[in-house]
Amino acid sequence: MSAEDNAFRELIDEYVVECLPLAERAADALVDVERRRRAGTGGDELLGPVKGWLHTVKGNSAMMGLTPIQESAHALEDLCAALIERGGDDGDGLLALLVEGGGLLVDQVRGAAAGGTVEGATGWLARAAAAARGAANGNGKAADRRRSERRRGAEADGAANVVRVDFRRLDTLLEVLGEGLIEQAAVAEAYRRVARRAGSTPGLPELDHAILALEKTMKRLEGVVMETRLLPISSVFGRFPRLLRGVAEGVGKRVRLETSGGETAMDKAVLDRLGEPLLHLLTNAVVHGIETPAERRAAGKPDEGALRLAAVSRSGRVAIELADDGRGLNERRILDRAVELGLTSAGEESDPHALIFQPGFSTADRVSELAGRGVGLDVVAAAVRALGGTIAVRSRPGEGSAFLLDIPLTLAIVRSLIVEVDQERYAVPIAQVAATVRAEPQALHEINHRGVAVWRGGLIQVTDGGALLGTGARSDRGRRFYVVISSGGRRRGILVDRLIGHQDVVVKGLDPSLGRPDVVSGTTILGDGRVACILDPVRILEQRVPA
Amino acid sequence: MSDALLRFADELGSSGPAEVAAPVPEIHLVTFTLDREAYGVPVQRVREVIRVGEITRVPQAPEHVRGVTNLRGRILPVVELRSRLGLATAAVTPKSRIVVTEAHGRILGLLVDAVLQVTRIPADSVQPPPEDILTPQADWLAGVARRPDRLLILLDLDAVLLLQR
Repeated sequence: MSAEDNAFRELIDEYVVECLPLAERAADALVDVERRRRAGTGGDELLGPVKGWLHTVKGNSAMMGLTPIQESAHALEDLCAALIERGGDDGDGLLALLVEGGGLLVDQVRGAAAGGTVEGATGWLARAAAAARGAANGNGKAADRRRSERRRGAEADGAANVVRVDFRRLDTLLEVLGEGLIEQAAVAEAYRRVARRAGSTPGLPELDHAILALEKTMKRLEGVVMETRLLPISSVFGRFPRLLRGVAEGVGKRVRLETSGGETAMDKAVLDRLGEPLLHLLTNAVVHGIETPAERRAAGKPDEGALRLAAVSRSGRVAIELADDGRGLNERRILDRAVELGLTSAGEESDPHALIFQPGFSTADRVSELAGRGVGLDVVAAAVRALGGTIAVRSRPGEGSAFLLDIPLTLAIVRSLIVEVDQERYAVPIAQVAATVRAEPQALHEINHRGVAVWRGGLIQVTDGGALLGTGARSDRGRRFYVVISSGGRRRGILVDRLIGHQDVVVKGLDPSLGRPDVVSGTTILGDGRVACILDPVRILEQRVPA
Repeated sequence: MSDALLRFADELGSSGPAEVAAPVPEIHLVTFTLDREAYGVPVQRVREVIRVGEITRVPQAPEHVRGVTNLRGRILPVVELRSRLGLATAAVTPKSRIVVTEAHGRILGLLVDAVLQVTRIPADSVQPPPEDILTPQADWLAGVARRPDRLLILLDLDAVLLLQR
């Protein structure tokens, strides 16, 4: 019995994997049609593909016996046909019905495991049927003919070279690759030890060669595995237009979302955790950033607010910019509030743009109204940082705000510098290492009980690694090196005992039982099988380290 | 199906539950020592018992967490059970072991002085601890079992593993 259940579960999962993107695409396109019709810029050409997607959803639903979904898809198809028939005239509110139904369909497909019944679906179906009957009046045969033509077309475009794989398998693949990388590092380390002791011995150069070749092959394997995990960022962006339409309607605003760079590819594990913070920012922009149509008119702006969501990839990271043309941040109010909260003092020069990401700042709801930004920017910032990313904001009063996110393309494998502090080993992500410097005593100074070093003609703060990491050993004298970490324009030196070397480390998370350390972001297994913590330079640089 | 079993089924069907002689309920435990006392946790919650390898300290980890260790490629957080139960911490010895527990898909290790055995005890040998010794901190205390040779202190693993106080 349970085996049968499992088989059904699997089929349903497969159905959702195939149909959900189609339903979402259709629903989003319908929102777009409505918006463009309203703006008088066409949009009807989208209806053709929409009908194709709906048709596939309908067929698959029928096969799975999901009658409610099948009926909704069918009704949507009919409404599309009726709308095309009517041309530019939407006297019957067909479009509004279509948009509503698109949303319902998405919810139904998502809930397919529970049978696909959704509140409101029956009522919608009745209204849709009536509207389609009234509109298509007598055109039923033509619609049937078109449908059967489309069916023939759909069968022809199967992609024979695409295999569908459960993402969990890719996770397993990555895990196995990770173990391979660890073992490879172990072999290389053992070789170095033997070579040091034995000196020049017959066979050693060949071994050296083989190890180098293995390293290269593993590197390639890693590249291929990582590639299979990539998805276009549009898979996240795609959900936004429909969601935002609802938000905007709720607050009586009009917005247009333009996206670009949707083809930028990112690790699915990152994408899965990026959707929520992005949606939070977008919702904030609609609710607090964009003005009401009346306010916009008064300010000489078009009624419809513009949101721009753009992604660009650059060397292992993806930059995402989310800009609106709304009222911008109210810096005065932010500073006042920060003083109230004790985050800064009245005379102090503070950057309001940095303050809004401070924990606790935005939870005060007065701020969300006065400062033009909503609750929970600190939560967004925390989510972004958890991905190893950074967030910043640019804003001009009256002209709008832009949030800039910088996110690593993948979480899984990070090239790192391995260092040793008081016999403990740590991995420092190379992306945030600006330099490694021999700690010459004459170049290290102490000002106000804090270490300072002259580095590249400037001064940087230098912190003892043992104190930072709480090793308990009291020996900040005699560390031989410091590692300069850098992120977002900030730099700091961290004194360490030894530099062990570079290694690709497989990132393993921190179990909740380990608390929420500020200085490490995860763990990894080194070549010798020992566990090492991965330092979090971004968060270390955010802290004011005591003397 | 054997005749005896069928007869048994008939009996079950015809008689009230009170009349069925219930087998003596037993508890299946993994037992270990900490300092001078013996403790037990349900065997169903124990995944395995391992020797203590290299344990890596995690900066800023909660007080009772000793660190993490490599369990065949998985990262196993190791709880310092002595300090969690309010005992003085001790150095790892050759007899020290990590009892690996599993809950909600997560694995957690308990560092113990030595593992005694896997044993069954009658459920009715368990009694609540004397009221007088209970403190709010002792939420991990599930009961005490009196065995012929010794007392066994039973731990409530869920309470033990809620590390934040």
